[in-house]
Amino acid sequence: MGFLTVLKKMRQKEKEMRILLLGLDNAGKTTILKRFNGEPIDTISPTLGFNIKTLEHNGYTLNMWDVGGQKSLRSYWRNYFECTDGLVWVVDSADRMRLESCGQELQVLLKEERLAGATLLVLCNKQDLPGALSSNEIKEILHLEDITTHHWLVAGVSAVTGEKLLSSMDWLIADIAKRIFTLD
Amino acid sequence: MSVVGKQLNPVQSSGAGAVTTSSSATAGSSSSGSGVEANSGSGGSSGAAAASGGASGDAKRPAETSSVTPDEVLHLTKITDDYLCSANANVFEIDFTRFKIRDLESGAVLFEIAKPPSEQYPEGLSSDETMLAAAEKLSLDDTADPNAGRYVRYQFTPAFLNLKTVGATVEFTVGSQPLNNFRMIERHFFRDRLLKTFDFEFGFCFPFSKNTVEHIYEFPNLPPDLVAEMISSPFETRSDSFYFVGNRLVMHNKADYAYDGGNIV
Repeated sequence: MGFLTVLKKMRQKEKEMRILLLGLDNAGKTTILKRFNGEPIDTISPTLGFNIKTLEHNGYTLNMWDVGGQKSLRSYWRNYFECTDGLVWVVDSADRMRLESCGQELQVLLKEERLAGATLLVLCNKQDLPGALSSNEIKEILHLEDITTHHWLVAGVSAVTGEKLLSSMDWLIADIAKRIFTLD
Repeated sequence: MSVVGKQLNPVQSSGAGAVTTSSSATAGSSSSGSGVEANSGSGGSSGAAAASGGASGDAKRPAETSSVTPDEVLHLTKITDDYLCSANANVFEIDFTRFKIRDLESGAVLFEIAKPPSEQYPEGLSSDETMLAAAEKLSLDDTADPNAGRYVRYQFTPAFLNLKTVGATVEFTVGSQPLNNFRMIERHFFRDRLLKTFDFEFGFCFPFSKNTVEHIYEFPNLPPDLVAEMISSPFETRSDSFYFVGNRLVMHNKADYAYDGGNIV
């Protein structure tokens, strides 16, 4: 724990947060990242690596990592767990067929030691699509109520309309800030 | 944050007014038409061959290795005279394929240059073939200079220095080997004055991946007399970009900048 404490103190000074966006392929991770950063979202192709944004937000330096979600790439996710303060799990709310595997992948991450200290934000994306499940329905299917190991929040969002995206991210940042920057 | 010179084609130029199309200042080079000149940099690279070639007679130190550490480049007080590693040091086939700058306030893309997909690492083609193709392209462009791809020249209008928040994106591809502890350190100077340092740890990059990173940052608040000097001293604003894999320097790119575009001389 000594090393972690040192790390956290170092970052306390810099007010830096590391946020990792994960989820199945086509969930909308890159679109959310771009929408959050005011970039056009009309030409987005599958991520075959990562997209990083570093930015200032509410007085913090955010390092946001969006890592490709295709099945063949998921084994690489663990390379990005280290020092993660916030995990954003992005769900395609209209992809009912894959909600089960979506839940399974999330459960694997929640058991991951290196993510133990991370705040979890579940974004039920694509709320603008007809047939999208509500965040309440997804909360049930993913058994989010059973999570006791992480601070978590679930929110229905749309990367296309921007609905609730900013307020959800603000919750994540505030929760991380409370947790890591008051450590002494 | 430099990109490969001659191999880049403009894909977009914007009407934001901060970037100018220019063909001035560099004799013998043509404007790319995007407001960015990507030259082979005969001036900036003259000493590099000597610097990297000097190790060729030293059996203990192959030409492609470099002993420069991240700490050393973080303490540099000015732009380097030479490249600190040879062009061959890039054993991981890291390839910069896009560079973009946008203004966060207006949303305008100030410029974007990208390698055409045909010159990017194509599927099913070995890297040797790709490099050969690139080499042929280079010789057609009559740039025998081995450092051609390592130097970029940018020309902006003075308005660029008034921007508040800027997003700078690079896109790069990785070859067949994964990268561990990939780190970029970029140092921007006007003459001997340090303007900005970027130090970013990418960490792991997986094989054959295409990755992007955008640094969104507040433009340094520069005093007006310094801004005036930078505008009247084209290409005295310069940057070194160092790329380390596992603390070993594998790439070193250079760029210089002018902010007098669009001025009536």
